Amino acid sequence: MQPNLSFDQAPAISVPYRFFLVAPWFGMMAGILLAWSGGEALASRWTPEALALTHLIALGFMLQAMCGALLQFIPVAVGCNVWRPQLVANIVQPLLLIGTLLLVAGLLFSRPSLLSATVPLFLLATGGFVVVVALALWRTPATSMTLWALRMAIGGLAITVLLGSLLAEALARSLPLPILDLTDVHLAWGLGGWALMMLAGVSYYVVPMFQLTRPYPPWFTRWFGPLLFLLLLAWSSRLYFDDQRWSTVIALPLLLILSAYAGITLWLQYTRRRKIHDATSLFFRVAMVSILAFAISSAAFFLLPEISADPRSAVWLGVLVFAGVFVSAISGMIYKIVPFLNWLHLQRLGAPLSAMPNMNKMIPAEAMTGQLRLHVLAVVLLLAAIWQPGLARLAGVALAASFAWMGWNLAGAVNRYQKFRDQIREAALHR
Amino acid sequence: MTTVIDGREMQPPEPLQRILEALDTLVEGDDVLLLSYCQPHPLFNILRNNGYAWSEDVRADGTRETRIRKVSG
Repeated sequence: MQPNLSFDQAPAISVPYRFFLVAPWFGMMAGILLAWSGGEALASRWTPEALALTHLIALGFMLQAMCGALLQFIPVAVGCNVWRPQLVANIVQPLLLIGTLLLVAGLLFSRPSLLSATVPLFLLATGGFVVVVALALWRTPATSMTLWALRMAIGGLAITVLLGSLLAEALARSLPLPILDLTDVHLAWGLGGWALMMLAGVSYYVVPMFQLTRPYPPWFTRWFGPLLFLLLLAWSSRLYFDDQRWSTVIALPLLLILSAYAGITLWLQYTRRRKIHDATSLFFRVAMVSILAFAISSAAFFLLPEISADPRSAVWLGVLVFAGVFVSAISGMIYKIVPFLNWLHLQRLGAPLSAMPNMNKMIPAEAMTGQLRLHVLAVVLLLAAIWQPGLARLAGVALAASFAWMGWNLAGAVNRYQKFRDQIREAALHR
Repeated sequence: MTTVIDGREMQPPEPLQRILEALDTLVEGDDVLLLSYCQPHPLFNILRNNGYAWSEDVRADGTRETRIRKVSG
């Protein structure tokens, strides 16, 4: 069978891959940093090591992977392409890479000049990315809640980077700004307004498609994004009046809607007719359970301030949300996107369907589920290491090994793509 | 004649593969009906670029019906 159909909407395969292939190695660096630093790193969210670890995961792993995924996802989900995706990727990805390394070094070694140097890099990289993605998202005639969630997410990214740049300058130049409150607001927009908003928007589309569930209920997709956005705006008001009761009033509904997203996703997985237990479904389950654990823990910390007085409580939340929620969900998504892209781009070469390699052969299932088990072990060890600092080095080793395994799996998928691509081209020459 | 492809319990790229196979043998007057839970934009691009027309409908349970036919001429 020779479909010989045009697939010209998708960007070149190198566009998402240059982000995906780099992301796991930043995670591995985070693991090595923890193994090198030991238990002191997790004593509080403000240790130089904890700040460096956070940004290795948030910028090195999450932002790289999410930018790559978005450039690929927009044509698939909303039917439009961003302006010159290859050029955008060629500029944005190296700038993010260099900016992340400089920022992490600046935080780890407390070098104000490095913090200042990262500001123009991030403003240029994410500013350019936000503009081209926003233009694509606003010009499409498509209408879906995924599209609206992505529009809000790209706004969330812009706010996060602006606040982060302000924080970097405030630290570098000792500006008289409320650093603690600014950090809380920066964190809320980064995790909620950007990462969770995008995860939810992508979930509306890919959870039914890849995990074979029913669609998310329309009432949920209609309200989740706008409510999250409004609650984050309200949370930002703590910059002007810092009242613990007001923060609690905002935080509790925020935690409730996060729990609703996690609960509905788990329910959709549980009630699907065809049960599949592939790595993506399991990674997503770990992410959703982590959201619930994060929401319950946060609610307990808000309602029982004597617990949250311990600086390790914030680290507990950080491990749950970064490693438990976002590393899990993003890993699960990448493991589904990469084999699919391999297949799609091999198809573009005009190979007969009968000659196409099976998508399941792109990354062996055992390699993905094996890495998932190691990732879960790393998350459990990280959580335990907060209270038992002697476990921190072991947790770091597990985290580094898990990310390295993921990097290896993705490199293997790219090798397989290149092998099949060469075979198809050779066969075409002899036809 | 209508060829029905229920993509709701298939993992990608199986629905797309089935559609491509069905389009290969589609004759004028017949159509292909795809059932899915999401809007298949990659498929739309393929259809647009290769001379097919389609219409969409959404059922109460969220199932999307995409009906594809060959454009004459």
